[in-house]
Amino acid sequence: MIHMRDVSKVYDDTGAVALDHVSVDIGKGEFVFIVGASGAGKSTFIRMLFREVLPSSGVLEVNGRDVVKMDRSDVPYLRRGLGVIFQDYRLLPDKTVYENVAFAMEVIEAPRRLIQRSVNSVLDVVGLRDKYKSFPSQLSGGEQQRVAIARAIVNAPAIVIADEPTGNLDPETSWDIMDIFQRINAAGTTIVMATHDKNIVDTMRRRVIAIEDGHIVRDEARGVYGYEA
Amino acid sequence: MKLSTSEYFIREVFLSLRRNNWMSFASIGTVAVSLFVLGVFLILVLNMNRLASSLESQVQISVYLREDIEDSTRRRVEGNIQEMQGIESVKYVSKDEAMMRLKERLGDQKYLLDALGDKNPLPESIEVTVKLPEMVQTAAEAIGKMEGVEEAKYGQDVVEHLFDITRLMRIFGLVLMVLLAGATLFIISNTIRLTVFARRKEIAIMKYVGATDWFIRWPFLLEGMVLGFIGGIVAALALRSFYAAMAAKIYSTLAFFPLLPQYPFMNYVAVAIIVSGMIIGTIGSTISLKRFLQV
Ligand SMILES: Nc1ncnc2c1ncn2[C@@H]1O[C@H](COP(=O)(O)OP(=O)(O)O)[C@@H](O)[C@H]1O
Ligand SMILES: [Mg+2]
Repeated sequence: MIHMRDVSKVYDDTGAVALDHVSVDIGKGEFVFIVGASGAGKSTFIRMLFREVLPSSGVLEVNGRDVVKMDRSDVPYLRRGLGVIFQDYRLLPDKTVYENVAFAMEVIEAPRRLIQRSVNSVLDVVGLRDKYKSFPSQLSGGEQQRVAIARAIVNAPAIVIADEPTGNLDPETSWDIMDIFQRINAAGTTIVMATHDKNIVDTMRRRVIAIEDGHIVRDEARGVYGYEA
Repeated sequence: MKLSTSEYFIREVFLSLRRNNWMSFASIGTVAVSLFVLGVFLILVLNMNRLASSLESQVQISVYLREDIEDSTRRRVEGNIQEMQGIESVKYVSKDEAMMRLKERLGDQKYLLDALGDKNPLPESIEVTVKLPEMVQTAAEAIGKMEGVEEAKYGQDVVEHLFDITRLMRIFGLVLMVLLAGATLFIISNTIRLTVFARRKEIAIMKYVGATDWFIRWPFLLEGMVLGFIGGIVAALALRSFYAAMAAKIYSTLAFFPLLPQYPFMNYVAVAIIVSGMIIGTIGSTISLKRFLQV
């Protein structure tokens, strides 16, 4: 699914070395936490996967596509195989829950009949079927993040990539989100999630990749957070 | 393109025309004014060109005869001309024929002659063609002195002036065109920039979920095109009124100026103006997308 070999990232403007010769492989159906202190390079790692950030050197393949050598015009097709989720939800305020999710299908020109069916089905998955007419401002943070998850999975991506998805949520709500992730993962979708949440990582006991100063310092199959939260 | 996709684009364009309504209005106004001015120049230059080239190609002298001329005198004049050196042809034009020709030339504006009733103020004339344009001047001078001849006119001297004027107008028009196109591009690209700004969140999400660059660009290009199109239509309508008014004015004073008939000429001008509007609109939004939409 994800193959990284000696990948480095140096930001041109600041010269900051965000990742330094990182190598890692993530297989189909895995559930992976990326942990590390603030500024360690987690977001850079995550953003390279959908080519928002281009590696400075090394080999990176995602879903069988060569992210480094790929043509700019192929980037949309890479992203159609991925679902991305952010800490700040990034919903469109003037669209309803239904429209926010449907938007992700409209803009890749999915057939209309398929759109209705898929949107209803993912709203069921995240438990928001009855709020489909609400606007984001009428929802709690947890509900907004569930809409964002519905949007990320509506095109049935092979990999879901999340950058601190519970960063703005209280512990209880965070667990609702993690429940959804577990279900998505159980259905075969690979999940890569950067997080600060010690409680979640320690409870779930999934694969943990720890990054410090741009280096992978630990990679354990059933790992723990390993830092003070 | 799928039906639902085109619907999506159209919806987006009208949403943002409404969202930026006063900027859209200003863009359309600028496009309309610019294209109107360009259109006026286009009309004038094309008409003067036509006038000049129709005069220039003339190796023809119009010999106007006195009102009271006898048929025998007229035939003598014809005979004398025929005997001159370098004459190609000599053709008599009666008052009726002169009127018929004028009507033909006026085309759809021939109603302007209705005011004359049954009167025909046009003189009889003889059309003389010389073999070479250089001979026109001497021949005309000689014919002008003949008995029974009111006046012998030819086009060459007017042509020189006309070409000078059209050349000037073309240069002036071109400079104006560049300035106006610049202003138009500026305002359209700013309008589109506002749209891009208003929709930056949507654009970001579209990129995350894998919309293609062209899918993202289309609504903006369309918006620019629609702004140019509407501006072009406004300008074309204004030009039509302008031309009709100009034609009425010219025919009521200088009936012999061969203005291009309003149809189909103004239809071509309208098409050219509207297409230019759309092209300018599209270029304007392209400039904006290049600078503000990093897709
Ligand atoms: N867009 C950017 N431009 C320049 N430097 C950046 C940029 N994004 C991140 N960095 C730098 O790269 C390093 C890693 O940042 P990041 O990947 O955001 O870490 P994390 O998500 O673990 O907090 C930091 O030193 C940060 O300042
Ligand atoms: Mg981060």
